[in-house]
Amino acid sequence: MPSLAESTFRIWNRRGHYYLGLYFLFFLWLFAFTGLLLNHSWQFAEFWPNRKVSKFERKVEVPPADTDVDRARALMLRLGIDGEIDWTTARADSSVLEFRVNRPGRNISVTAYPEQSRAIVEQTDINTWGILRVLHTFTGKRVGDERNDRDWFLSTLWVISRDAVSIGIVIMVFGGLYMWYGLPAKRNLGAAALVLGSVACAMLVFGLRWM
Amino acid sequence: MAKRLYVITRDLHLYVSLFLSPFILLFAISVFFLLHGRSGREQAVQSAVISDLPAVDGLERLSGRDQVNGVRPLLDRLGVSGEINFIRRIPKDHRLVIAVMIPGRETTVDLNLPQRSATISQRNTGLADALNYLHKMPGPHNVNIRGNSFYMGAWRWLADASAYGVLFLTFSGVYLWTALRAERRVGIVLLSTGAISFFGLIYAISR
Repeated sequence: MPSLAESTFRIWNRRGHYYLGLYFLFFLWLFAFTGLLLNHSWQFAEFWPNRKVSKFERKVEVPPADTDVDRARALMLRLGIDGEIDWTTARADSSVLEFRVNRPGRNISVTAYPEQSRAIVEQTDINTWGILRVLHTFTGKRVGDERNDRDWFLSTLWVISRDAVSIGIVIMVFGGLYMWYGLPAKRNLGAAALVLGSVACAMLVFGLRWM
Repeated sequence: MAKRLYVITRDLHLYVSLFLSPFILLFAISVFFLLHGRSGREQAVQSAVISDLPAVDGLERLSGRDQVNGVRPLLDRLGVSGEINFIRRIPKDHRLVIAVMIPGRETTVDLNLPQRSATISQRNTGLADALNYLHKMPGPHNVNIRGNSFYMGAWRWLADASAYGVLFLTFSGVYLWTALRAERRVGIVLLSTGAISFFGLIYAISR
């Protein structure tokens, strides 16, 4: 006979499994589907050959600021662009402010000449397939990239959402394992499936190094 | 009939999820390293120089999959196994730099063709890097050479199985939830709030 605490945990574990799955349903669809898109070069989902590139030059005052990021932000505001700033090159010429602005679906390259009060903007737009792929990989900051920081509110929010989805998945997996363990009739076959998956996964993560 | 479908779906949901749960955990946990982690490549590099390699003609002229197939016997002889990530050609020195990966270990073979020697550098990159690597593989890059090792072929299949499996688990999960009348109202509220936050965020980030 299970105790009251155990029964309550069992009920809420089951509910949590449903609730998390339903709340994150669209996120799970996105990441599963775009995972397939990234691993297969399906022709119907091509986006780079169909990109649209536009370029314009504008007279604009580049406002002074304490840091390059602040300066770039102020310039972006005047140019009406928004996104995650990406410093791609070291500044060889201090009279030129050069950076990229990325967001899913749009990459913008900005080259500003503060002394001449002008900026050249090159904008690349990609289609929906491209946006879907970028949503999977968009982190605002690459691993090991010391030059860039996440400085756009929406990329931070996107990263927090992805963290939340991952935490939700981990809870769902362990909650699911607990629910399975409460079904004695399914234990043997379930254990076989779990062991098979675990051995295959462990072989790839740890085993290859030792072989 | 409906009950039978429900029972079959419930059992499949259970067994598919049990098989895939380690892979799903791998993808979920590696997200934290990919989003917040630092690259774990600080470990000491071990190097060795091997000479008197057999002469191989035409390796420099090959490209893509042919070049990968051409260097594979040489790597086997050097005792280096794994997925060839890329081959960089340095024409003026007649050298080929081959990056060979297995999860958690990176081996670089610097092949000097005129001298018939190879410098092998190896570093263990750790668990986080192993998870990150598997998460990103096979991926959209170097498609023409990707899957040149047995393990990457297997991983390609398992990564696909994980993605299709997650899609199946979500559809079957929704079906199983609809049968629970007591949970329907709360479920609809959560599904709706999830949809609003998902589409709202995507609209804001990509508009």
